[in-house]
Amino acid sequence: MDSDESRSVDLHPHKPKDDSSISSNTWRAGSIKEVEVIELGSKARYGSRKGGSTSSMSMSMSMSMSRRDIRDEDARLVYINHPLKSNESFEFSGNSVITNKYSVLTFLPRNLFEQFHRVAYVYFLIIAILNQLPQLAVFGRFASILPLSLVLLVTAVKDGYEDWRRHRSDRIENNRLSSVLVNSTFELKKWKDIQVGEIIKLSADETIPCDIVLLSTSDPTGVAYIQTINLDGESNLKTRYAKQETLGMQEIESISGTIKCEKPNRNIYGFLGTMDVNQKQVSLGPSNIVLRGCVLKNTSWAIGVVVYTGMETKVMLNNSGAQSKRSHLEARMNKEIIFLSLFLVGLCSIVSLLAGIWLRRHRDELDIMPFYRRKDYSGEDVDNYKYYGWGFEILFTFLMSVIVFQIMIPIALYISMELVRLGQAYFMIRDDNMYHESTESRLQCRALNVNEDLGQIKYVFSDKTGTLTENKMEFQYASISGVNYNGEKTEFYGEQGGYYAKVGGLILRPKMKVQVDMELVRLLRTGDDPTISKKIYDFFLALASCNTIVPILVDTSNSGEKLIDYQGESPDEQALVYAAAAYGFMLIERTSGHIVIDILGDRQRFNVLGMHEFDSDRKRMSVILGCPDSMVKVFVKGADTTMFNVIDKSRNTEVVTATEGHLHAFSSVGLRTLVIGMRDLTPHEFEQWRASYEAATNALMGRARLLRKVAINLETDLRILGASGIEDKLQQGVPEAIESLRMANIKVWVLTGDKQETAISIGYSSKLLTSNMTQIIINNNSTESCRRSLEDALILSRKALTSGENARLLALIIDGTSLVYILDSELEKQLFELASKCAVVLCCRVAPLQKAGIVMLIKNRTNDLTLAIGDGANDVSMIQKADVGIGISGQEGRQAVMASDFAMAQFRFLVPLLLVHGHWNYQRMGYMILYNFYRNAVFVLVLFWYALYTAFTLSTAINEWNSVLYSVIYTSVPTIVVGILDIDLSRTTLLKYPQLYGSGQKEESYNGKLFWLTIADTLWQSIVAFFVPLIAYWKTDIDGSSIGDLWTLAVVFLVNLHLAMDVNTWTWIIHASIWGSIVATIICVIIIDVIPILPGYWAIFHLAGDGLFWVCLIVIIIASLIPRFVSKTLVQHYRPSDIQIAVEAEKFENLIESRNAEIEMIQSQR
Amino acid sequence: MNNQAVTNGIGSSRSTRRISKKPQYSRFTQQELPAWKPILTPGWVIASILAIAFLFIPIGLFSLFASKRVVEIVYRYDQDCLPEMYRGNATAYIKNSDANKTCIENITVPKRMDPPIYVYYQLDYFYQNHRRYVKSRGDKQLRSVGYEFLTKECEPEARVNKSKISSPIVPCGLIAWSLFNDTYNLTLREKVLNINKKGIAWKSDTEDKFGSQVYPKNFQLGQDMIGGGKLNEKIPLSEQEDLIVWMRTAALPTFRKLYGKINTSLEAHDIITVALQNNYNTYSFGGQKKLVLSTTGWIDGKNDFLGIAYLMVGGICLFMALNFILLYVFKPRPLGDPSYLSWNRKAAN
Repeated sequence: MDSDESRSVDLHPHKPKDDSSISSNTWRAGSIKEVEVIELGSKARYGSRKGGSTSSMSMSMSMSMSRRDIRDEDARLVYINHPLKSNESFEFSGNSVITNKYSVLTFLPRNLFEQFHRVAYVYFLIIAILNQLPQLAVFGRFASILPLSLVLLVTAVKDGYEDWRRHRSDRIENNRLSSVLVNSTFELKKWKDIQVGEIIKLSADETIPCDIVLLSTSDPTGVAYIQTINLDGESNLKTRYAKQETLGMQEIESISGTIKCEKPNRNIYGFLGTMDVNQKQVSLGPSNIVLRGCVLKNTSWAIGVVVYTGMETKVMLNNSGAQSKRSHLEARMNKEIIFLSLFLVGLCSIVSLLAGIWLRRHRDELDIMPFYRRKDYSGEDVDNYKYYGWGFEILFTFLMSVIVFQIMIPIALYISMELVRLGQAYFMIRDDNMYHESTESRLQCRALNVNEDLGQIKYVFSDKTGTLTENKMEFQYASISGVNYNGEKTEFYGEQGGYYAKVGGLILRPKMKVQVDMELVRLLRTGDDPTISKKIYDFFLALASCNTIVPILVDTSNSGEKLIDYQGESPDEQALVYAAAAYGFMLIERTSGHIVIDILGDRQRFNVLGMHEFDSDRKRMSVILGCPDSMVKVFVKGADTTMFNVIDKSRNTEVVTATEGHLHAFSSVGLRTLVIGMRDLTPHEFEQWRASYEAATNALMGRARLLRKVAINLETDLRILGASGIEDKLQQGVPEAIESLRMANIKVWVLTGDKQETAISIGYSSKLLTSNMTQIIINNNSTESCRRSLEDALILSRKALTSGENARLLALIIDGTSLVYILDSELEKQLFELASKCAVVLCCRVAPLQKAGIVMLIKNRTNDLTLAIGDGANDVSMIQKADVGIGISGQEGRQAVMASDFAMAQFRFLVPLLLVHGHWNYQRMGYMILYNFYRNAVFVLVLFWYALYTAFTLSTAINEWNSVLYSVIYTSVPTIVVGILDIDLSRTTLLKYPQLYGSGQKEESYNGKLFWLTIADTLWQSIVAFFVPLIAYWKTDIDGSSIGDLWTLAVVFLVNLHLAMDVNTWTWIIHASIWGSIVATIICVIIIDVIPILPGYWAIFHLAGDGLFWVCLIVIIIASLIPRFVSKTLVQHYRPSDIQIAVEAEKFENLIESRNAEIEMIQSQR
Repeated sequence: MNNQAVTNGIGSSRSTRRISKKPQYSRFTQQELPAWKPILTPGWVIASILAIAFLFIPIGLFSLFASKRVVEIVYRYDQDCLPEMYRGNATAYIKNSDANKTCIENITVPKRMDPPIYVYYQLDYFYQNHRRYVKSRGDKQLRSVGYEFLTKECEPEARVNKSKISSPIVPCGLIAWSLFNDTYNLTLREKVLNINKKGIAWKSDTEDKFGSQVYPKNFQLGQDMIGGGKLNEKIPLSEQEDLIVWMRTAALPTFRKLYGKINTSLEAHDIITVALQNNYNTYSFGGQKKLVLSTTGWIDGKNDFLGIAYLMVGGICLFMALNFILLYVFKPRPLGDPSYLSWNRKAAN
């Protein structure tokens, strides 16, 4: 519903109006202001996950906001530890969540109401209502509402089942237990009974039952670590704080006070409130609230007061389903439906017009015609019986013919399509080839209406980090004071399976093993050269300390051994800390005041005197450590671009140049690089820094700006320690997958937030770029220069493509800054022109909204279908904009998955998804639509022809029950079964020849030509099926019911055999459905004909006892199908499609193989 | 979940969620069920078309032959039986109950006719399939006395007002009301040719559909408009075979209905004298009435159409088969040759 709204909105990163429009999908208008900031915040992060900026931004934001007072009418007042008082004036909702739509009572009305939102059902309803008017009663009352009620029933059962499952999960959720303060003791209470104002105590690893404001935690400074994976999909730990004022309260029972906060809203990053406690007013911000669905980690307990419950919690308010998209094929089909509607109107007009003429011509005879007899003599007065005048008769005939010919518009098709998609999804989900063992995850079909689009994709837009790569950072190379340690690697440090530390009898091991460099290990251990050892020592100390990582101990099966899991916001930092641990610098403990590092078996405690967190301006972070030897040191790590500005190059020039060289080497093999520096602080410097640091932290206004200033003053004249190269490993099978996609003529565009060098190197390693490609690099920062380079590139591309023999493939590499100037300007057209000539497009340093902008660039200018695949929150916009959005359910949580149509574990699964299932889905669906047009039209046409022989009065020879059951029982099942199960080509062939995917891109299974051919075939078949019995039984004593049965059987046999002729793969299920339908038809016809009170009593038996019937039936079937059979054969002979040849090859190859096998057998026997 | 479980969250969840989500391999879910994959190979195409040809041509010949053997006499009498003086005003004649409706005509038998010879009446341009008409019947009423009053469907021929009391017509409805009532008496060489009128209706109709306890009532009482024949009120509906035949409404506007059967054979050039009562009004709407005497073959009456249709289809198939043979001989395409794949062809060019 809101998809349409968002579809129409053009997306561009620098128009704030559009920024908000995309978020309005998920957030209510009231919170747009804050959301914008979030969007911008995540934009600033680009693709690389150098964390911190989001939280710092929203924090500074909230600080300035909390100064503002909340107006009373917009506020919610919570009395701490007084649930009764809190709830008496306001009716806060309880903590039970209700995600189900219906209850037993409301199910019927609500479900019906929702179902009738669909046009198809309204059409059904109007037809059924029309039929209830006595003048128009074509079908009996029951027969006319049967199809509609059947459809409603099926849908209602489906909806009811889904809702029952929601009910069940809600019940489980609502009955979970938490400990709540009741009468001064903590008691276990069901989640659904928790009320606003109550105080809750949470233990480690417990899920938070509702939104709470923290009062105190096990940490003396009031820190609580939480994991928000259920909320925003980010797996790292975040910190929340209890206010100083409530921390000290030992007697939690006696606490009293009030909290005044905002009304419930959807903004998960914002919270505003004040707390009056102990006659002091304290302001509350987003860092003080813990939201439902989060998990408490690394904190043994936390106590908080409930402010929002149940449906009013932020997570529940954000619970909106995936938006609906409509498939390309369906949109295409709707055009044909319009034609069919016109055709229907045409048929009805012809009939009503002719009926009018007939009435006019016989106007004098109508009174006494034995089969019309207009006059009714039974009453006192002689008046007209059911005759309303010429004009009305025409109108009624028209409406009646609409009722009779209603299935011309294949409404049942929409329902069949839904069932087919459901079935296809079932098989896609269960495909072993898309099952990822290590994460135990399989494909998820989240949207059920774009299955067939998977078979027509022409553009794939892929994220890099986490999508092409694993997003498991691995420390690879270290350059320490100008020496590149990239020698021989070994899995183990020593023999005991990696480095470990002993703490009080416990063995601590890092959770992840990192390969270490032998030379480096030797240097560290032996300490041959003290100066080098010292530098290496500082380097690793920097890695272990200069971060925000929290070590968490995890139990293992061995009670004497624990694993250390390093939790943090940035995977790069995790990799660095794991690396440091592997070399013997193991971070064991972190509190807000100190860290403990086990350095080569020696447990050392460092005081963390201060920390300047990462921000996107400085692009670096620093930590001030008080070392055990009471030295004060500053360690800084950051991006090379900003680090070299603050490094004192004069001191050791050769180290700096060597490091620069190494950095270039690292990034050109696709590594992510960081530069590390340090300096010692003299006591004087330290004091100076501390004074300004404290002043800044305590500042009320402009705290962030002041802190940054302090940091910049501190981070100068650094001594370079070295640089690190972290590898983000390519996922398994990515190069092969990209190769397959390329062969399938799918253009793969990579959109990444990474640096250009990294992007290019990943491009090479994933075989996206090859050495025989000409690279066009666009890297500008003004509109004018962009225009120039685009023009140059276009000239170059024309040259490259027209140079005949030496034609080279083109690769376009463009960065986000250039895109800012190009997208949303007249240059867009040129970019599109250029990009469409390039085999590969790499966009680096792009912001999330630019990703969507690039998708729209293609979508606005072509009809080609696009697919976006990504794993992070920054891919959401592009996933929503593309025709098909795919989320990788990997490291980065669920945000992308929530927005996607399909979710899978690995990029390489794209290949079976598109080439195999996409192809199957497309060709099945394409055929099914055409077949449904045909099967309905052929029946309608038979009815129409008959109307011409009944004085245009629309009486039908075919029994009304047969008409109704025709689309319900006689012909419905096989088309659905074939739509789900038919396989034109085996998986092996489709994967072997990815080019076969072209059939979907070229719309070979459904296009205008096929539609018109189908219509022509339908016309021919209906003529044969109708006129053969007509002529054969002309001037005989055939009665209406008998010939009606003949027509019914003829059409049903015809339609089913027509399908049988086009089935590619005859499994037993297809056999059963097709032959079963025919048998079911016969049975139904017989049942209808043994009811004595119907006019057609016993007709079928009389009919079948007569040779003429069988002769008619056979000639109808053969004569109808021969043109189709012959033209199919001729097309296959003269213009075989690729699929046709592959089908033959499949069969032929088997023969060859078995023959070869036989020969081998014979030879081996000799 | 209790507190202990919460603190050991990781351990407990690991033990409870041990059920693997791995899809169980089955040929069904992997869509690898054993299957037959037919391909239109030249052999199959030619064989199937030839088979049709060889099946259809004999059937066609046989039907045509059977149809030729059927002897049929069709005699249109509605104009012939109109007295000279009523030529311009046939409706007045037919409505005039005093006018003499008897009409005597001679018809010649063209060929020997073997019994059973079926006597039909044929009506042209009579829309027994008209919507108003087909609906106007009371099937329940026909079947049992209990539903006598169920005449809602029968309008406008549902009830009569007898001394201000509305009582139902049995059988009600336009169909019964318009019962055909011309009668034929045939004489051959001064001897009455017996027309057996028993067993002309379907056995299923006489046994189940029309009640043996239901007697005609108030039938054809209308003063203003007489639709057709009257019924003997002493005979139950199940034995009124003319009515039963008439009530099987014809599918098409030109139809025949069985009048009776003759069980003696007729020789060629026999002259049959038909004495018919021309009672039924088709003049008012330009309909035609015909008397038909016909023998029967294995596909019913005289009908060349199916024979011709079969021969045509068979002939076309034979022609096609020959063409396909020539095609496959002179312009063969190796099946499954990868060089025909579009990208290979493109590369070859």
